[in-house]
Amino acid sequence: MPPEGRPSVAGLLGLLALRFQLLRETRFGSFGPVLVALAVIWLWFGITEPAFLSPRNIYFLFMQSAVVGTLAVGLTVVLLLGEIDLSAAAMAGVCAALLAVLLLGGMPAPLAILAAIALGVTMGLAQGVMVVFVGIPSFVVTLAGLLGFQGLMLKILGIQGAINMRDPAVRALTTVALPPAWGWGLGIACALAFAAFALHDQMRRRARNLEADSVAALCGRIAFIAILVLAAVGTLNNYRGVPLLVVVLMALTAILGWVTTSTPFGRSLFAVGGNAETARRAGMSVRTVRVAAFGIVGLMAAIGGIVGASRYASVSFNAFAGGPLLLEAIGAAVIGGTSLFGGRGSVWNAILGALVIGSLGNGLDLSGASAADKLMFSGAILLLAAAMDAVSRRGANFTRGGGA
Amino acid sequence: MPSVSNDEEAGRPDVPPHLLATGVNKRFGGVEALCDVTFGVRRGEVMALVGDNGAGKSTLMKIIAGALRADTGSFAIDAEPVQIASPHDASDLGIRIVYQDLALCENLDVSANVALGAEPVKRGWGFLPHFLRPLDDLAMEETARDAIDRLQVRTLHSVRARVGNLSGGQRQAIAIARAVGADSSVVLLDEPTAALGIAQTRQVLDVVKRLRDTDHAVVYISHNLRDVFEVSDRITVLRQGRNVAVYETAQITPDVIVAAVTRGLEEATADAA
Repeated sequence: MPPEGRPSVAGLLGLLALRFQLLRETRFGSFGPVLVALAVIWLWFGITEPAFLSPRNIYFLFMQSAVVGTLAVGLTVVLLLGEIDLSAAAMAGVCAALLAVLLLGGMPAPLAILAAIALGVTMGLAQGVMVVFVGIPSFVVTLAGLLGFQGLMLKILGIQGAINMRDPAVRALTTVALPPAWGWGLGIACALAFAAFALHDQMRRRARNLEADSVAALCGRIAFIAILVLAAVGTLNNYRGVPLLVVVLMALTAILGWVTTSTPFGRSLFAVGGNAETARRAGMSVRTVRVAAFGIVGLMAAIGGIVGASRYASVSFNAFAGGPLLLEAIGAAVIGGTSLFGGRGSVWNAILGALVIGSLGNGLDLSGASAADKLMFSGAILLLAAAMDAVSRRGANFTRGGGA
Repeated sequence: MPSVSNDEEAGRPDVPPHLLATGVNKRFGGVEALCDVTFGVRRGEVMALVGDNGAGKSTLMKIIAGALRADTGSFAIDAEPVQIASPHDASDLGIRIVYQDLALCENLDVSANVALGAEPVKRGWGFLPHFLRPLDDLAMEETARDAIDRLQVRTLHSVRARVGNLSGGQRQAIAIARAVGADSSVVLLDEPTAALGIAQTRQVLDVVKRLRDTDHAVVYISHNLRDVFEVSDRITVLRQGRNVAVYETAQITPDVIVAAVTRGLEEATADAA
């Protein structure tokens, strides 16, 4: 770095990289890159396609991103371990097919949903056992799962290849929207709860003389979340109200977010992903954690399957196992900033990543782009996200210096 | 205080050891790794354990830490016979080991690393299974801050810094801070300065001295005799899996140790005479 008073371009860039790295180190700051990507995409399509930012389109954008987001949240949990699950979309397909067949056979919706979820968790755990106790790499186990579950889905669907979903309870998941007053109430309650938790934490930190954030950072964080939540509620209320699906997914993500960051189980996820041998020596049950992570993917895949069945009003092979769903979900997690090498990431970022992919598809559809353009744009965005991640980390290594 | 207690102990070599291992034997297949080894360390002293590669230092260390089981051998803490059959046993007895390869998670912050594997959870969530109860972050940060203050690691300013961004010396200090909980009495350090530069080595040696000052029984394995002579009070020499001798560091020179390590006791005493 140059001496003070004689700043060079390289020095400034180094400083910027360090700033960027410091920002990313905070739990909140890891949202940075994906939020910037989302803002750029929304700005671009907002200018070029006036319909893009209309409440109606935003409503459908959320609905379109829901299945990808659900799978991406589940995948994030195994990515934290440095593992991968290629069978997530196929598992979602199998669970959706089972749900459809059971409902067709006259089973009540709650029971059929429970059965689909149980099947998803079982499939996930079974693959986890193969990875952990038999010792096959997760890439291979879940590749086998991808093929096998695709076949299983076709078998369950039978000769017609698609089953229509008419059950009112399942359809309600993606067709019901909350009345505007409820939407506002829920949004305000969420913002207030976030503010209360953040303030309470900071007050306790000050009382116990621990490191606390500056008042500006604290207020900024609270204001940011409040504006984000209330703007979303306001926009959605201008069309049909906050979709029930969005509430359910936010609640699920909040629970998984809490489990992965604030419980001993979540801490061992990060520890195993960071350094499995360290976690083992520290007395963590590495095997249980890894099997459980695959079980969570199965759970989220089953929920994704149910959401998809409800949204498409039918269960077909191409909508799940045969389509681009899996790659979009993995892409969403990575665009969100979750490392494929394990130990770094967050389920909230996966939701944002899913919104990036959804926005890109939606905006390109609006501007009349072909499927070919959409695929190439998605590839470019994924590459850009991974490059930003890699460069920001390398920049930090340069500027850190001195460390042995 | 430390120098005073050292002098006292030097004057009274019959002070009973805090941890005593006697008659330790260990075979790996046809190889005799340890043969009838006796090893003791007192509270408030640094006992260096030296020997050439394959002398059995690490094996002895792992046996004391419970990571390996001795074929035969008996252990005593303050003259009370104890069993060390697993890392858990050793940990319950207050015996902590800091491995050569640090064993930290670089993606976690300092407080998470210090608490790793024994995270405190908040009270009042008893209806949840333990692995799903909320972590007590503040208690973790307090514990980490206290541990680091005790070891006086001055260069480390935040317990919320990610370990991947710290220097080798700081990491070693954190690994030691993690080992030294409130209920530890014996700390085993395996080559703690092997990968460090000069300034960072100094930092770690200071931490080791601090452990002695806080009345721990410290076992220090190293190949670096300069470090050994700087921090240790006594030196145990192993050669080919057997005891050679125990020396008072203040009363000998590095040459004696080199001779004992490479040629054994007879030649070493012949040299000294």
